[in-house]
Amino acid sequence: MNRRPAALLMSLVMLASGCTDWLDVNTNPNGPQTVASYVYLPPMLHWMVTAPQYDGRFVGRYTQEWTLPGTSLSTWDRMGYDAASDNGAEQWRDVYWSLGQGLIDMTSKATADQRWDLLGVGLILKAWGWQVLTDLHGEIIIKEAFDASRTSFDYDTQEYAYQEVQRLLDSAIVLLRRRDGAVDSTYVLKGDHIYSGSRSKWLKLAWGMKARMLNHFSNKAGYDPAAVMAAVDSSFTSNADDALLAYPATSTDFQDFNFWGRSRNNITNYRQTRFVLGLMNGTQFGGVVDPRMSRMLSPSPDGQYRGLDPNVVGFGALTTTQRPNNFFGYSGTSGLGLPARYIFSDRSKIPMMTYAELQFIKAEAALRAGNAAASWTAYRNGITAHFDFVNARNRDDNQSPLPITAAERDSFLANPAIVPPVGSLTLSHIMSQKFIALWGWGHNELWMDMRRYHYTDLVDTVSRLQVFRGFAPPTNLFPDNGGFVAQRIRPRYNSEYVWNKAGLAPIGALALGYHTTPLWITQP
Amino acid sequence: MTKRAVTLLVGILLVAAPCAFAQQKTITGTVTSEQGAPLAGVSVLIKGKTTSSATNRTGNYSIRADVGQVLQFRFIGTAPEQRTVGAEDVIDVQLRRVAMSLDAVVVTALGQTTTQRALGYAQQTVQGPEIAQTQRENFVNALQGRIAGVDVTSTSGVPGASSSITIRGVSEISSSNQPLIIVDGLPMDNRTLNTGLLASDANSNTALSNRGIDFTNRAADLNPDDIETLTVLKGPEAAALYGIDAASGAIVITTKRGQAGGGWRYSNSFRIEATRAKPQLQRVYGPTTETGGVLDSLQYFGSPFPAGTVFYDNIDGFLRRGFTQSHDLSFSGATPDGKINYRLGTALDRQEGVVPNSGYDRTNVTGRSQAQITPWLNTDLSMAFTYDNNDQVYKGTLGPLLDLMLWPQTDNAKDYLTPLGARRQVTGQAASTELDNPYFNVAKNKINAKTNRIMVNLGLLATPFSWGSLKTNLGVDSYTNQNLILRDPASVAGAANNGVLDQADVITRNLNAQTVLSFNPHSVTHDISISGLLGHAISDNKTTTDAMVGTGFVDPNFVSMNNTSLRTPRATLEQRRVVSLFGQGVIDYKNFWYLTVTGRNDWTSTIPVERNSFFYPSISTSFIFSDAFPAVGRFMTGKVRAAYAEVGKDARPYAYRAALESKSTSFGGYGYGFWGPNPALKPEFAKSWELGAEVSFLNNRVGLDGTVYRKVTQDAIVNDVRGPYATGFILFNLNGGSTRSRGLELTLRATPIVQPAFSWDIAANWFSAGQIVTGLPHAIPESYVSDTWLYGNVRNGTQVGLSTMSLTGLFYLRNKDCKLLIDPTSGLPIRSSDFIDAACGGRPGYDRQPDFTIGITNTFRYKRFTLDFLVDIRKGGDVFDATDHYLTTHGLSMMTLDRDQPRVIDGVLRDGKENSANPTVNTIVVVPSVQRAYYTNMSEELFIERDINWLRLRDVQLSCALPQGFLGSRNASVFVKGTDLLLITNYTGLDPIVNGNSAAVGGSGGVAIDFGNFPMPAGVNFGIRMDF
Repeated sequence: MNRRPAALLMSLVMLASGCTDWLDVNTNPNGPQTVASYVYLPPMLHWMVTAPQYDGRFVGRYTQEWTLPGTSLSTWDRMGYDAASDNGAEQWRDVYWSLGQGLIDMTSKATADQRWDLLGVGLILKAWGWQVLTDLHGEIIIKEAFDASRTSFDYDTQEYAYQEVQRLLDSAIVLLRRRDGAVDSTYVLKGDHIYSGSRSKWLKLAWGMKARMLNHFSNKAGYDPAAVMAAVDSSFTSNADDALLAYPATSTDFQDFNFWGRSRNNITNYRQTRFVLGLMNGTQFGGVVDPRMSRMLSPSPDGQYRGLDPNVVGFGALTTTQRPNNFFGYSGTSGLGLPARYIFSDRSKIPMMTYAELQFIKAEAALRAGNAAASWTAYRNGITAHFDFVNARNRDDNQSPLPITAAERDSFLANPAIVPPVGSLTLSHIMSQKFIALWGWGHNELWMDMRRYHYTDLVDTVSRLQVFRGFAPPTNLFPDNGGFVAQRIRPRYNSEYVWNKAGLAPIGALALGYHTTPLWITQP
Repeated sequence: MTKRAVTLLVGILLVAAPCAFAQQKTITGTVTSEQGAPLAGVSVLIKGKTTSSATNRTGNYSIRADVGQVLQFRFIGTAPEQRTVGAEDVIDVQLRRVAMSLDAVVVTALGQTTTQRALGYAQQTVQGPEIAQTQRENFVNALQGRIAGVDVTSTSGVPGASSSITIRGVSEISSSNQPLIIVDGLPMDNRTLNTGLLASDANSNTALSNRGIDFTNRAADLNPDDIETLTVLKGPEAAALYGIDAASGAIVITTKRGQAGGGWRYSNSFRIEATRAKPQLQRVYGPTTETGGVLDSLQYFGSPFPAGTVFYDNIDGFLRRGFTQSHDLSFSGATPDGKINYRLGTALDRQEGVVPNSGYDRTNVTGRSQAQITPWLNTDLSMAFTYDNNDQVYKGTLGPLLDLMLWPQTDNAKDYLTPLGARRQVTGQAASTELDNPYFNVAKNKINAKTNRIMVNLGLLATPFSWGSLKTNLGVDSYTNQNLILRDPASVAGAANNGVLDQADVITRNLNAQTVLSFNPHSVTHDISISGLLGHAISDNKTTTDAMVGTGFVDPNFVSMNNTSLRTPRATLEQRRVVSLFGQGVIDYKNFWYLTVTGRNDWTSTIPVERNSFFYPSISTSFIFSDAFPAVGRFMTGKVRAAYAEVGKDARPYAYRAALESKSTSFGGYGYGFWGPNPALKPEFAKSWELGAEVSFLNNRVGLDGTVYRKVTQDAIVNDVRGPYATGFILFNLNGGSTRSRGLELTLRATPIVQPAFSWDIAANWFSAGQIVTGLPHAIPESYVSDTWLYGNVRNGTQVGLSTMSLTGLFYLRNKDCKLLIDPTSGLPIRSSDFIDAACGGRPGYDRQPDFTIGITNTFRYKRFTLDFLVDIRKGGDVFDATDHYLTTHGLSMMTLDRDQPRVIDGVLRDGKENSANPTVNTIVVVPSVQRAYYTNMSEELFIERDINWLRLRDVQLSCALPQGFLGSRNASVFVKGTDLLLITNYTGLDPIVNGNSAAVGGSGGVAIDFGNFPMPAGVNFGIRMDF
């Protein structure tokens, strides 16, 4: 055979055979398709702690943790919502997307590799998602979720969501007790910057979340305070167990900065309310000034502590020097790059759950169960633990307030207006002190507590004392409310109201006043 | 793979045996115009052979031919001539200029030339000198008005601004609508940098999202002086042979080659520019509030200025006179035997814009040489190097134009620094809230891009056999585009991050190889001949972007990544490969009926492998009725044509698989990106039909060419479609869009007067078109490109039944009779909380597509003088004057002057009876100065101006040929030219040609969204051209 035709033939054969491989360049080289299971964890843990803070800007106005003074009353301060906006639906985004498919990938890999500890953490994350989402929005999408081929999604009931949370937490508890398979804290810790891979601490968190969940049933017939107390006792035993996320503050996009820090500029214009101030400046507790007030709240430039009335436009009659400083402790919008206060610094840690919170849950359950002594002890533990928490947070980023001394704390605890004798403790003490302990970060739970007690429930008809001392719903409710207070947040606008109206219609979410429809969990 | 292609080629060449050649003689002669002037560059071909020659500067040619062979003389714009070689050695020819000729030589796909008569579809050609004469640095801008169906939108009047081209309108909802640009047979990258590649775009707080910023479209790297001809293939018929990238049409450019006796040529041009930007601002009402002598904001709803207030005209003093110079030097020649020719050229452009610190410098060096290596092998090598350096300014709220408008008119903006050299602020607002001083802005903020580009194209033409030829082109288009984008630490854009410095090096390397085996016409019977071609193409496109963003400037003034304290890198690699096979067959019946059939199969890397191979055919026919019926031919020449074509289109790279991306949240890790998987992704298809006719009368002095077309796009890939988050993702790339386009193109050419001393040519183009969306994926209610949501609540949203160029927004709510719904408490109209179309009752929604456009070119020649001008007319099409809305919400617009005037807004109260038979008519009196929401909450729809028309004098030029021997030259001419001198429009803003984004944005983009954008300046050019 002639050499030339042979060369031609060879070339053609090479061309044809090489073509398929040559075209195979469509694997995205800019990001992997899959990663080691622990690598999925850091962003999910970040959002578990941080996403509630995003929505806390809005939920925190329902609960009157803070208010946004402006040239007119803000929608949220009037218990309304923002039209055509995703405000108040960050957790919707993070549960379905930031965790979403990544969480499924991680749990599948952990299952395949028999990493029961990592799988347990995964189930906790899953339970956390359904818990916060159903508490915010009521009906949510669970059964049909994470099907990328669907174009519309049906909603599931809140009752189902609670069953699912319980199932996931119980499963996590079983898994986190296992030591077989490839359980290995040194593997998990590479992605776990909350508990450094500690199986026992994650187990305690699972119990803590179960305590939280069971406590939500206080209006239901099946409410079991003993089960709540037992869950608390299996959970955190001290502040060392607090589920805290650190913010290294090293990224150009500020994503790893504390959401509340001045650099993020998210609450620079927000101010403390008259309600939270009243709990700490003696108004509601027999004139006893809480030592935490000067470490958590901000004075006005004249040195006095004031809180704003969300029913008053802007700063009302307050002069410039009377207007409360921002949460960093400075007037107006200043404070960039300066030491801030409490959890409002760029590197302050933010908790997902604290020992103090759990002690208040136990105190509430014990009181309802008629166990006054256990309630008293847990209540006192809760306050003490929160004092330590406040001091620790003011050290995270070398903040400006000085620590609360042991003497200040003891004198406060010794005051019967704060800690009455055993038997005289009321739900009003517990829930009001819990409000202080969760103020600024525990928005989801604070709002759930308020809704459980219908915002203004009384402790008894004799004392006329409110469970939440001094709380008053806004007098000028948002027009769409039809005179009712907020009970839930509408599902995320840019997901549901734009693309899934088919799913919204059956649950009544297209009604203007949908956000005032009470949740299943808060009804008998 | 390229190596394999070379192996193949060499193999084919080796197989071919050299043929023997008959005895030849040399023919010489002169080619002149009918006015007697020698014509340079006329191609002289031997019919049926590939041997060719061309006339030199003095119109002389020489070619070797056999007796009995036929010489063809072809020159674009003239009727071709033929001469049979006989005994004589000298053949002189006079070519006749015609407005339109069926025998004119035209460039078609794949570097083929044919006669106009054989074409079954619409295409139009512009000559290189016509483009170069416009003195546009970016040749794309020279095309507006010169070709029916072509629409060019320049983003702004800043030097180096990107320009987008659409041919036959917008049919893609989210991907690019720009045509493929082919230079000497191979594609040229015309990308405009998308800010999505910048590291700062990964975060919504620092993302620019193609708003407020612009980069040059890369086709501008081509030196307009290097263009010999530019042909626009309008329909997907272009794609039938050029493939999927030409689905939106193709612009086929042939560059200049050497000529015997060409010699030196030097030309220059100097331009002085001034802007039309003279916005009017109210000077009655002062700033809203002041605390301790310091403004609280840059709003002007306060009490009237006291009498005697001193005002500064900050705008007038800011903009400068732009100055541009360009120099072009070339040398061309050929060996005496005509076997080797060469052209070397270099060009230098230096442009200083009307906005301080804006400029565009470009240097081109090109070398092209053709050689006949053996009797059967010709080579054609071209190399073009470009360096350009572009400084742009920001636009929108980051840009100096709005800064100029908002800066207090009672303050001299020139004082932009404090005595200590820091940014001088005039309000108590934070540095990240108060708009920059314009002088500070342009002095401190930077958008700089430097590009080094080399394009190499090696062509090999082998003619070892008598029945055809084999042509291979191997090309590299490679460039490095270095970008530096600075948001100064003290500026409004940079303050929140204490400075933001973006750097991005974009390295693009595109390899293309194409081999075409052509079969010369072969007579089947006496009347029928067939010809055809088979081809193979490979392209391998790869772009690597190394980007980094740095924030937290250590020293506030030192501009370097080393000076930043927080840095985030971002590497992006994008690769796409396509392999194609194609073929074409032409049947020619008696030279008056032609039928062309093509087929092409592409294999693309961007579609899942099961569906990555797709075939699409086309068929077209042309019938020269004036030849078929000689009785008709006595009065006119004419042809009718019809074409049907299909074309496929692939997706962008990595569109169908979800991928993880690294996260910058606490302690990093990986999570999914926004885009969900779509394993079912398939190519989209467009089908198009067109019918056309070309007729000419009066000995071809008057010609008319008309085309109607219709195009249907199906299964269109819509990118970035939002879905319910329960899918686990936020965006999807989905098939399921469909659009329908139709339009009419008319071209009239006439040469009313041809006298030895005086001639007049006229060319007019008409284009009217409409495109609507007929389907969206998953029946989603609206599709939009998020970058276009750049101001307020208006975006390029479209819905089924709307134009592809529509706008949606949070417009006013109306009752069933289209009356505004009024809030019973405030007396102000209520806005929708969903993005809606503005259609109501008989009133249509917004459509930025004009009803029609007309471009008219007139050329008068009188002795040594030539006068030509291009008038560009547009009727209809909506433009959003966002700048005016912005000024109104800040109390600066002239329309806020009657703010104390009480008024009742015409509408009905939303009290539950609004849709009843008797709605409550609004009677609530509003005084805007008290109820400021009247302005601040005004719907943008009041500022979307409907039916914007314009008449603009794009170009007007007077040139004069100088006497021979001027400064020792052989030929010389001088010219004076006006560019964009005159604009008559009903638009109330600065200039309706504007793009709120840049040419990087797909779909209909931000075209006709005018927000803080500098308009095209008017310029006067003068220069000289000399041949030595």
